[in-house]
Amino acid sequence: MNVEGEYIFNGPQQAVYDMFNDPNALATAVPGMQKMVQVDETHYEGAIFLRIGPISAAFEGVLSLSDINPPESCTLNIEGKGKAGFAKGVGRVKFTDLGNNQTKLNYSGEVNIGGTLASVGQRMIDSVAKSMIKSGCEKLQKTLEERCQQK
Amino acid sequence: MAQLIPIKVTVNDTVYERQVEPRLLLSDFIRHELGLFGTHVGCEHGMCGACTILFDGEPVRSCLIFAVQANGHQIKTVESLGSPDHMHPLQEAFHEKHGLQCGFCTPGILMTVVPFLEEHPHPTEDEIREAIDGNICRCTGYEKIIESVQAASEKMSSGK
Amino acid sequence: MTGKYFGQPVLRLEDKHLLTGRAKFCDDIVIPGMLHAAFLRSDYAHAIIKNIDVTEARKHPGVVAVYTAEDMGDYWKIGPLQVPPPFAIKDAQFNARPLPPIAKDKVRFSGEPIAIVIAESRYIAEDACEDIIFDAEPLPAVIDLEKAWEDTSVLVHDDLPSNMAALVKQEAGDYEAAKKQADVVVSKRFVADHVAGAAMENRGFVVNWDERTQEMTVWAGTQAPLPLRSAIAGRMGLVENQVRVITPYIGGGFGPKVMTSQADDVLLPWISMKLNRPIKWIEDRRENFLATTSERDQVHHCEMALKKDGTILGFKDVFYHNTGAYDPYGMTVPLNTQTHTVSNYRVPNFYTEIRMVFTNEMVVTPVRGAGRSEGVFVMERMMDLAAKELKMDPVEIRLKNLLKKEEFPLNTGVIGQDFVVGVLDSGDYKNNLEKCIQMVDYEKFRKEIQPKARKEGKHLGIGVVAFTEGTAVGPYEGARVTVGNNGKVSVSTGYSTQGQGHFTVFAQIVAEQLNVKVEDVRVITGDTGHFHWGAGTFASRGATIAGSAIHAAAVLVREKIFATAAKFLEVPEDQVDLCEGSACVKGHPEKFISLGDLAGKANPMRGAVEADVKPGLEATAYYAPPHGATGSGACAMIVDVDPETFKVKIERFVLVHDCGTVINPLLLEGQIQGGVSMGIGNAFYEKMVYDENGQLMTASFMDYLMPQATDMPRKMEIGHNVHPSPLNTLGLKGVGEAGALPPSPAFCQAVEDALYEYELDLTESNLNPSMLYEFRNKAIKR
Repeated sequence: MNVEGEYIFNGPQQAVYDMFNDPNALATAVPGMQKMVQVDETHYEGAIFLRIGPISAAFEGVLSLSDINPPESCTLNIEGKGKAGFAKGVGRVKFTDLGNNQTKLNYSGEVNIGGTLASVGQRMIDSVAKSMIKSGCEKLQKTLEERCQQK
Repeated sequence: MAQLIPIKVTVNDTVYERQVEPRLLLSDFIRHELGLFGTHVGCEHGMCGACTILFDGEPVRSCLIFAVQANGHQIKTVESLGSPDHMHPLQEAFHEKHGLQCGFCTPGILMTVVPFLEEHPHPTEDEIREAIDGNICRCTGYEKIIESVQAASEKMSSGK
Repeated sequence: MTGKYFGQPVLRLEDKHLLTGRAKFCDDIVIPGMLHAAFLRSDYAHAIIKNIDVTEARKHPGVVAVYTAEDMGDYWKIGPLQVPPPFAIKDAQFNARPLPPIAKDKVRFSGEPIAIVIAESRYIAEDACEDIIFDAEPLPAVIDLEKAWEDTSVLVHDDLPSNMAALVKQEAGDYEAAKKQADVVVSKRFVADHVAGAAMENRGFVVNWDERTQEMTVWAGTQAPLPLRSAIAGRMGLVENQVRVITPYIGGGFGPKVMTSQADDVLLPWISMKLNRPIKWIEDRRENFLATTSERDQVHHCEMALKKDGTILGFKDVFYHNTGAYDPYGMTVPLNTQTHTVSNYRVPNFYTEIRMVFTNEMVVTPVRGAGRSEGVFVMERMMDLAAKELKMDPVEIRLKNLLKKEEFPLNTGVIGQDFVVGVLDSGDYKNNLEKCIQMVDYEKFRKEIQPKARKEGKHLGIGVVAFTEGTAVGPYEGARVTVGNNGKVSVSTGYSTQGQGHFTVFAQIVAEQLNVKVEDVRVITGDTGHFHWGAGTFASRGATIAGSAIHAAAVLVREKIFATAAKFLEVPEDQVDLCEGSACVKGHPEKFISLGDLAGKANPMRGAVEADVKPGLEATAYYAPPHGATGSGACAMIVDVDPETFKVKIERFVLVHDCGTVINPLLLEGQIQGGVSMGIGNAFYEKMVYDENGQLMTASFMDYLMPQATDMPRKMEIGHNVHPSPLNTLGLKGVGEAGALPPSPAFCQAVEDALYEYELDLTESNLNPSMLYEFRNKAIKR
């Protein structure tokens, strides 16, 4: 499955980029994320509870960052496993300064899923992924606003 | 072990009191707790209709209901219709028209059709097809099931 | 050859128990102390097993045992092959890779079992499966058939140089020479899509090892009880009579239940003996999709050479066949395809090549149709293609090339699934088609109905196809017929039944011979404790092979009745007659002895016994055909297609069929109608879809669409031709799979005809509205 899209943040590019490299910000942004712990500079371990159509299950996994090119781009690698199957994904995110305190996020990636997640949940996974990204970005926008206010 | 919940269910006019796990499916309760094996389980996700029973007179899929939800309710299974020596007119019609082959989906179809014929004593072919559309039969191609239901409606309305 | 019972629409004996919920199916079996099994299955389609940690699962309350391949020690063995390689075919290459019972080192398809949990309840067993930590390193999956044949970068079996499972070439005449003589050559690539057997009852297995009697009893929803018994006995080191396999009522077979030596029948008997407890395993629907065998899935590259007048000069077919991750069932399916591409028409020169490919998918074994569907599909599509090219009517080109009845018996030159060269025994293929176009009123449709519909903006189309069904192959079946002391007759056969109506048709065969009421004949099928020779239910062979054996046994019992009654009635044998339920003196019905009493006499007691005693009114007989009997037919379909939504409504469905002598016309109709519904499902609804990673995307009835009551044509109009097979006394041929064969090609032809504004070219056996939309978009507008 391929995911692709964009989102425009109201905030400066560096702040948006930093947020994407901040496990705490990411942890609160992803719906169902239960924990996210930094292992080293570029690796995080997390647990997430997902509901996809008839399936609801906990997944544990590793998020790692690569191709780090602040504040312009990075690659997110996700590998998760749980009772309902597994998911493995690569997402490339790119940030562009649009001026006017606006930053455009472009993302594209592939996700491979297996197990019950694939054989029963595949019809829903596309729309679930889209809605998770959308609500995630909205949450991040809020965090961003809070951070900018604090400064 | 999960906690057990007491339930009281009337199945085929017999009252059963049992302690069950909250996650126990009604289909498993009927089959494995009560030993009423006429209700068959074909998919466990509500698509095939083999486990259809009457729940307070309404046809429902017993694999989509927990046993605890049946507490205080009336259930009828295929065993309530007739016995080999005294079959229900619907069962007789299925026998006469060759409306079954492996017979696995049959109890679910019968339990779907019983309330349907009560509401539609003189159904058209299209109405019958609609009525059993949620019951999958792999063996018959449905044609003889339709003929069986038609024959049953005639039998039942003429009081035979 | 209609008799008092034989040939009559006798109502089924098995119905009453099924209708009232009293029939006993596998999951209805309860044994005190019974444990329940659940399998942990791989989520990966292709991966190296790193570690399987079952520590937590073993600690789970209610869990009795957990086993992985490692825990099985020496008992873990691969195989055996259930069907041997095609040694009868010259130069055939076959890489035998039978099923491992449970994955060790590597998993090769998504759903492959990796551990089994035995617990006090199924709920607990499934819970404990979730406690198992399965650590594996995923590998790329082999999915695309044509690519997998060439590409050796990823191998399903590392010890092989490629993903080739088999390569088999069969030819007659000289295709290339014929091609040079041809006026036209047409060629096309076709896909025969992957479908499931999807019996309404999933598989099931209950086993009880009784330590005190040293006997093992197995109840299984199997189509092959005797091979299953022998396989279990062999593995357990028991003599065959220590293992009794009983088939309870079975909720449909359709092919996949013929498999043995799978995880359930390998592991459960061993565990039952180890734990000294009865164990039950009932498959769930998702497991059935993931890990029970399924079929079709071929890619064909066809070529046909013809003369201007439409005469076929030659045919070439190179096809890729997906065998899945292993090939335990040999080459039955693709051999059936080979035999059915060239079994209908006169094809003087042909070349057909099987390229059987290993993939990271569940194993492919026969499903109702079993390779024939694919053969019929590509040949019929090629006939359409040729007709278009030559601007001929599709019916005309078929009538021109169909084999004539005078040509039978005809040696086809192709070795089939029974490893003998196919012989088409009898029939009138042309008449099937002529009768079919008459029933559907082809002329009227072409001249009046269709032009009128087109004027009204309606898109009506017609498809007319012909087919053969190779049935009733060997090796053999047997039966024992016994008259009881109460005058009722028992019949035991090793053949097993899944809803076809064998209890009734077998009883009819016996009732006819012994002049007893059909309901007085009790048939026992598939219980190895009652009859312990036979092969199993496949290839539409029950009525013909087991039926012929039963008939032969009944004839012997009839002879015994005459001999014994003659003695008792003190008349010569030729003066004995059979009255209903008794033997009497011809012309003197008052001088009789009931069959029950006669049965008593036939069991000599003290003082009456002779040295060469053969007690009882009983006989055992076997039947083995020299080769299969071939049924035939033709099918016409009229469809109404909505060119916007691509919803297709089947307005008329006509099928003419010839299965030789008919035992029970009512049940025959049921068999054909059921086959047709599967064929229609295969043509427009059902499709198993694996993604590029080998994940099955259609593992529930939400995504795998079964035909429902509103999807079927209002009426299946069925016509019969009867050309008895010369191969057996009763003139029987099989019919079980016939209905499933013609719908796909008829559907394609009809839809192409309906959407006449486009040069539509339908090359897949399974269509649906969105695929039709894509095909239409690719098509040139006329």
